[in-house]
Amino acid sequence: MLLLKSPVIARTLHKWLGLFVGLQVLIWLGTGLYMVVVDIDFIHGDSLVRNMQKTVLVPDHSMLGIASLREQYQDATKISLRPVMGKTFYSVTTVDHRYLVDPKTGAVKSPLDEKTAREIARYHYAGEAQMSNASLISSSPPMEIQTRRLPLWRIDFNDRFATSFYIDPYNGSLATRRHLYWRIFDFFWALHIMDYQDRSDAHNQLLIAAQITGLTFGVTGLWLLFYSFSGRSRKKGDAVK
Amino acid sequence: MMQLLKKLHKWVGLLIGIQVILWLLSGLVISLLDPVKVSGRQWVNTTGTSPQIIVPVALLEPAELPAEYVKGALGIDLTIRRGKPAYLIRRTGGETLVNGVDGSLITTGKADAEQLALQDFSGDGEVISVEQGMAPDMETRDHTGAYWRINFADKANTAIYIAASTGRILERRNSYWRVRDFFWMLHIMDYPGRQNFNHPLIITVVLIAIWLGISGFLLLFGSFNRHDFFFLRIPGKRDDVVIILIDPMAGDPRPVVLRKGSNLFLSLATHGVSLPSLCGGGGECGKCRVRFEVTGLPETKDLDLRLVPKRLREKGYRLACQHIAGNNITLYLPEGTLAPLK
Repeated sequence: MLLLKSPVIARTLHKWLGLFVGLQVLIWLGTGLYMVVVDIDFIHGDSLVRNMQKTVLVPDHSMLGIASLREQYQDATKISLRPVMGKTFYSVTTVDHRYLVDPKTGAVKSPLDEKTAREIARYHYAGEAQMSNASLISSSPPMEIQTRRLPLWRIDFNDRFATSFYIDPYNGSLATRRHLYWRIFDFFWALHIMDYQDRSDAHNQLLIAAQITGLTFGVTGLWLLFYSFSGRSRKKGDAVK
Repeated sequence: MMQLLKKLHKWVGLLIGIQVILWLLSGLVISLLDPVKVSGRQWVNTTGTSPQIIVPVALLEPAELPAEYVKGALGIDLTIRRGKPAYLIRRTGGETLVNGVDGSLITTGKADAEQLALQDFSGDGEVISVEQGMAPDMETRDHTGAYWRINFADKANTAIYIAASTGRILERRNSYWRVRDFFWMLHIMDYPGRQNFNHPLIITVVLIAIWLGISGFLLLFGSFNRHDFFFLRIPGKRDDVVIILIDPMAGDPRPVVLRKGSNLFLSLATHGVSLPSLCGGGGECGKCRVRFEVTGLPETKDLDLRLVPKRLREKGYRLACQHIAGNNITLYLPEGTLAPLK
């Protein structure tokens, strides 16, 4: 092989490396196209939600105070005021638990039941579609909420995006939302970074091996360009010779 | 058809080849970097960071908080910060931290910021300097408001950013992050902002690159023949042909043994016989002409018709890169191809 001239080496390498990584290069391009074309805010579901930035009302002195909350929850590490469907609630975090507390009566509202979870989902949903399934996910979560704190209520909508809202039963928040195009994005991201299990680790050996092969493939292609445009203009002269 | 694809592939490659290389290179650099270092998690001191229980002292009620801070709040959290109870008030414009006992505003001065950064950082290296920033720069682009930048003398050139209002750690930046961010910019082609990958430039270039990819993929099918996969055959079933090479300048004919079905140009090259060529056997330059003996003359291929004049074709000239070593034949090479035997 040492005897071969550089265009021969480049051409042979380009052809064989293309055989090995050609399909992955196409996958990189195709998944990349989806990611650049579909607006990321849409992917995040920004257009599916409403009422996300509601202000809280500070309880007056007639309501339950911090002092009595702290008496009841002696190992509280955080006491918050947070809006749930436009009304203000206390959210108490203790060393190992969370509670949603009615500021007037002190009644513990959490964990929220299915009916309330559905109401919250409806309150935040910007569309018109009907809700279908609701399920409480306490263990073995689907891929799409892998990193989220459980349990979560999953509320599905009958819209063309196959939207799912995830409601936290311990603080009443819309923890996250997922839809068809998010799921496609996530799947494509897995293909793009070649992490088929967790879909999150781009620091993996398979990807690095494919990238080194791909880069060599690309460089030989660029190298070949120097030879592919040469010679044509001299063709006629040679032919006569 | 293949010629058209080849032309498309070449010209598209010329147009955006550099960006394709940059995608591959930046992708490689990004995945080589360890995310634990890029995010700075490698050097975060996690001891003593678990939430503390709110101590039973006399606290302000939320209703007693100064109205100016509470107005428009999206959420209010009472927690222990820096050992003392404090209310964190979140608003659209930013966050405010208020003393839980007397309702006074807590801000983070230069010394506080340095202290907080030192508590957070577990790497090797002293604080070099503490700078104040009023508006977000490239490293704090996800935030608003004033901040402190605490620079450390560690190997990774860590800078910890702390909000001047709440003392919250905004970012941990280091050389790994900076390298990643530069290559991320190249990858998503957002040179001013380094964040947006939904812009017309990248969409256009990706669409063009897809043509490069598809044409290349289709060309693969034309560029291989079954003889390229000889190594998959049962060992010992090797099939050879003998080609007699004649170079009028080199004296005696030289026989070479080639694998049957292999590409003539390439096989001869691997046997040390370099035919004249600019393109390296790509069917581009038309220089690798050889003359076949009449008895073994193969049919003309498309590129013979294009690149070899009719007069020469009739004499038995063909492009070596377009033909295979099919039979035992004699080939006349251009003068001087074979080194004269001494």
